[in-house]
Amino acid sequence: MNEPAAKPVTKKRGLRRRHVLVGVGAAAGGLAITKALGLYNLPGQPSLPGQSQSPTVAGIDWISPLDKPEAQVAHLLRRATFGATPAEYQQSMKDGFKNTVDRLVETKAAEPPVLAGADDATQDKPIKPQDLISWWLDWMLRTPTPFAERMTFFWHGHFTSDFRKVNLQTPFIYWQNLTWRQMSLGNFHDIVYQVTIDPGMLRYLDLGTSTGKAPNENYSRELMELFTMGVGTFTEDDVRAGAKALSGWREPVTQAMYDALVKRAQAQGRPAPRNVTPDTVKTGVFEQQRAYVGGVKFLGDVRQWDTKSALEKILAQDSVAPFIVRKVLREFVTDQPSDDYVKRLADGFRKSRYDVKSLMRDVFMSPEFVAPANYRALVKSPTELMVHMAKALETPALAKAIGLAGQGMGQLPFDPPEVGGWPSNASWISSNNVLERVNFAQATLTGMAKIPAFNDAHTTHLDGVVSPATAQLLNSSPDDATRWLILLASPEFQLK
Amino acid sequence: MKELGGTNGVSRRDFLRSGLVFGVGAQALASGYAAVPDVFARAVLAAKSAAVQNDKVLVMIQLGGGNDGLQTVIPISSSQYRDFRPQLSAAAAKAQPISKDVGLHENLKGIKTLFDAGKVAIVQGVGYTNPSFSHFDSIRVWETADPARRQQDGWLGSAIAKNYDSAGHPLVGCACGTTNVPGMLRDLQATLTVIDDVKTFGFQGGQNVEDVMGTLYKSTPGIYGALFDTAMTTVRDTVAQLRTSSAKYTPKGNYSDKVNLVYSSKNQLAAALQLAAELIVTGTGVKVLHVTLGGFDTHYTELNRHDALMNYLDSAITAFHEDLTAYGMADRVMIATWSEFGRRPKENASGGTDHGTASPIFLIGDGVKGGLYGETPNLAKLDQLGNLSYAVDFRAVYQEILASHLGVDAKEILGQSFDRVPFVKGQA
Repeated sequence: MNEPAAKPVTKKRGLRRRHVLVGVGAAAGGLAITKALGLYNLPGQPSLPGQSQSPTVAGIDWISPLDKPEAQVAHLLRRATFGATPAEYQQSMKDGFKNTVDRLVETKAAEPPVLAGADDATQDKPIKPQDLISWWLDWMLRTPTPFAERMTFFWHGHFTSDFRKVNLQTPFIYWQNLTWRQMSLGNFHDIVYQVTIDPGMLRYLDLGTSTGKAPNENYSRELMELFTMGVGTFTEDDVRAGAKALSGWREPVTQAMYDALVKRAQAQGRPAPRNVTPDTVKTGVFEQQRAYVGGVKFLGDVRQWDTKSALEKILAQDSVAPFIVRKVLREFVTDQPSDDYVKRLADGFRKSRYDVKSLMRDVFMSPEFVAPANYRALVKSPTELMVHMAKALETPALAKAIGLAGQGMGQLPFDPPEVGGWPSNASWISSNNVLERVNFAQATLTGMAKIPAFNDAHTTHLDGVVSPATAQLLNSSPDDATRWLILLASPEFQLK
Repeated sequence: MKELGGTNGVSRRDFLRSGLVFGVGAQALASGYAAVPDVFARAVLAAKSAAVQNDKVLVMIQLGGGNDGLQTVIPISSSQYRDFRPQLSAAAAKAQPISKDVGLHENLKGIKTLFDAGKVAIVQGVGYTNPSFSHFDSIRVWETADPARRQQDGWLGSAIAKNYDSAGHPLVGCACGTTNVPGMLRDLQATLTVIDDVKTFGFQGGQNVEDVMGTLYKSTPGIYGALFDTAMTTVRDTVAQLRTSSAKYTPKGNYSDKVNLVYSSKNQLAAALQLAAELIVTGTGVKVLHVTLGGFDTHYTELNRHDALMNYLDSAITAFHEDLTAYGMADRVMIATWSEFGRRPKENASGGTDHGTASPIFLIGDGVKGGLYGETPNLAKLDQLGNLSYAVDFRAVYQEILASHLGVDAKEILGQSFDRVPFVKGQA
C-alpha cells in the first residue's frame, strides 16, 4: 500500500481556508458556522494530504508508516515513554530504533527529588494529596529516564494502591512509589516479594492486619488473581491457605509516627503506648507470633509455609508468565495479542528467570511491535495523553493542571478506581472523556503565554499520518495555536 | 415494526443538529420542543416499536466492592449472626425491624419510611450458581447477566440496542457521575452517554471549538475510529440537550431534617442522582441511568465504614425520591441496587468481612409493590466454604425490571425465563 508522504504545512496554500476560520472566530452567528462546516467544498487541494483512501468507506484502517525508521522510533517513544519533546525525538532519531531500545531498557530509573515532609508524615502532618500527585506528574514530565518512569506507572496500575485507603498520615504510599520505581526494571521474583511486604500494600490489601489465627483473605486472593496468576487458576481453598501462609506481617511505625502517638497520649493525659516502638525499616515487619503455625495445602503442596516459599510456589505456576506477558502486551503492543505471541514471549520470560528488562526488550524488538496492524492500536491513558501534550508543547510546568484534569478523565495517579487498577484502551473512549480531553488541550493552549512554533509537529507526533478531516483542518487553520489545538485534540493524538 | 424516529420522522440528533447549524433558529426550535406537554414524550419517541412506548425510567445503583447484605438487612433474631460476628453484630440492636427476623440498618431511615409506605421491595438472598469471589469476574456476571461468561454486552446495553433508537437519542442510556461507560450499559449496537459533572459538560472555547471538533471527528479510520466519532457526536448532542434543559431544573425535595434538600455535596452518589433527576425531569428522553457508590469492599474496620456507606446511600436515595415526588414523577422511576456479591458471614481479624455470595437487592419507587421477597438467608445452613446459599437468581430480578417495569421482551435479552418475583404494582 502506498502511503502519501507527508509534507509540512505550507502556509501560502492554506491561506484561503485560514480566512474562513478567522471568520468563525470573530463571528458567533450561524452564518459563519455554516461556512466552517462547508470547508470541504472550498476549491483547492489541501497541502497536507490526509489518507488517500476514501473516508466514506467504513472500517478503513490507518496506513501504517512503520516500515520507515523514523516512524518506528516515534512509535517506540509514544509507547515506551510518555511521548517525547522535539529534542528527545531528535536524539532517538540519531540513535536509531535498536540503540534507543537499548538505552531505554538499560538505563536505571532516575530518582525524583524528595517530596518535602513526606517521610515524616503523621496524623498531625499528613501529606497533601495534590502535593503528592503533582510531585509524581512533575517527575513524569522531567525525568531523564522516561521508560523507567513509564514502567513505574505501569506497575502502579498493576500492583495498585490508593491514597484514600492507605491514607496520607503515613509515608507509606510515597515510599511505595519510590520502591516501585527502584524495582521497575528488576526481577519479577524480587518485585513480588517487595510488593508483598510493602507498607502501603500491607494496608491497602489488609495483609498488615492478617494473622494466623484469623487470616484476612484480601491480599492472598488479589495476589493470585490480579498480580500473578489470573482468575480461574486457583481454588477458594488456595485463597484461604494462602492467607494463612502469608500471615504474620505488620506495618512499620516511623519515628515521626511514634512521636505523634506519644504527643497525642500526653495531650490526652494517657500514658505513652508501651506496646509500640519505632521501627527503622521501610518495609513491613514480620512477627512470628502473628504467623500461622502448621501445615496447609496450598497450590497442591502440604507443608509449613513462610512468605518466601509461598511466593515461590505461586511463581512456579505455569499461569504466571503468560498472565504477566499478556498484560504487558495489552499495555505496550496491542489490545488483543494472539496466543502464539503471548506464548513465545512467556517462554522467553521464564527462560530469563523472570527478568523484566529482557521481557521488555523482547516486546519492543518483536516484529509484532511494528506490525502494520498494531499501528495506533492502543489508546493513550489520560496521564499519558496529558504528559505527551506537555512534552509536545515543551511546557513542563503543567503538573498541577494535569493533576486537576485527570480526575474528570478518569485517571488520577494514586487514586485508581478499583483494586484492578485502571481500565485500558477502548474503555477510555466515552463521551465524557473525549470532551474532557479536548477541553484540556484547549485550556492548556489558552493558558500559555507563548505557544511554540508548530513547524512539523504533525510529523514528529503523528508521523504525518492523518485522516482527511484532520488534514483539512490543519491546512485551513489560521495560526499555530489553532494548528496545535487540532493536533492535540485529534483522534490521532489520542492513540499510540 | 414501525420506526418511531422522533418528531415528524426527524431523529432527535437531526433535530438538534439542525438547531445548531441555524444558530438563532436553534433556540426557537428547542423551546418549541421543550413545550411538548409531557416531558416524557421524548423517551416515548425513542422507542423502536409501539410496544415499548412508555414513560418508565430505570436507575441502577451499583454498590461497588461487594455490599455486606447481613449488615444492610440485618438478621436481628439470629443467634448465629451474633456468633459469627462478635463485633459487627452490634448493628443488630440498633436496626429498624421490618419483620420478626430482619431489620434495616439504623442509617437507612429514609428507606425505612419508604418501606413503611409500601414503596420499597427487598429481594433477599439474590445470587447465582457457582458464584465467583473475584470482584471483576462477578461484576462481569452481573453486568452481562450471564454466569456462563459467554456474553460481552451488558444486559441494559442490549436492552437499549434492541428497543430504542439510541443513535438518534443518545441520552436514552446514560451513566452519571463517572467517566467511563459502565459494563452494564455497554453494547456495540448502542450509543451511550457518560456525564461526570454536568457543570463542566461543555466545550471550552464555545461554539467555535465545538464546530471544529465536529469536523475533526469524522470518518476517523482505525479500530477505534467509530468509537471516537460516536463519542464526539454524543457529546455534541448532549451539550445541545443540556443547553435546552438545564435552566428548567432546580432540586425540589425536602429531606428528613427539613434542611432544604439538597443533595449533599459531600456525597458522590447524591451528586450523581441529582444529575439523574435533572436528566429525568427536564425530559431529555433518558430511559436507563447508571450510578455508582463505591467503597463496599469492607475487609477491615467494617462497622464504621459500612455505617457511613449506609448513610450515603440512604440520604442520596431519599433526596432523589423526594425530588422526583415533588416533580410528580416518582411513579415512573424505579431505583434498583446491585452489588457483585455479599460478604462472608464470619467476620475476620481486621473487624471486616471477606468476599461472600448472596445479598439483597432494593427496588424503590412509587410503582413498586413493597415488601420482602426471596428468603431470609439461613445462617444455620452455610455451604462448605462458609457462605450463604442464594434463594433468587439475580436474572429473575432483571426479568421483572425489563418485562414489568420497562415493558420490553425480557427473554430476548436474558435468553431464558425465570420464576417471577412480582415486585411491580399492577403486574400479578
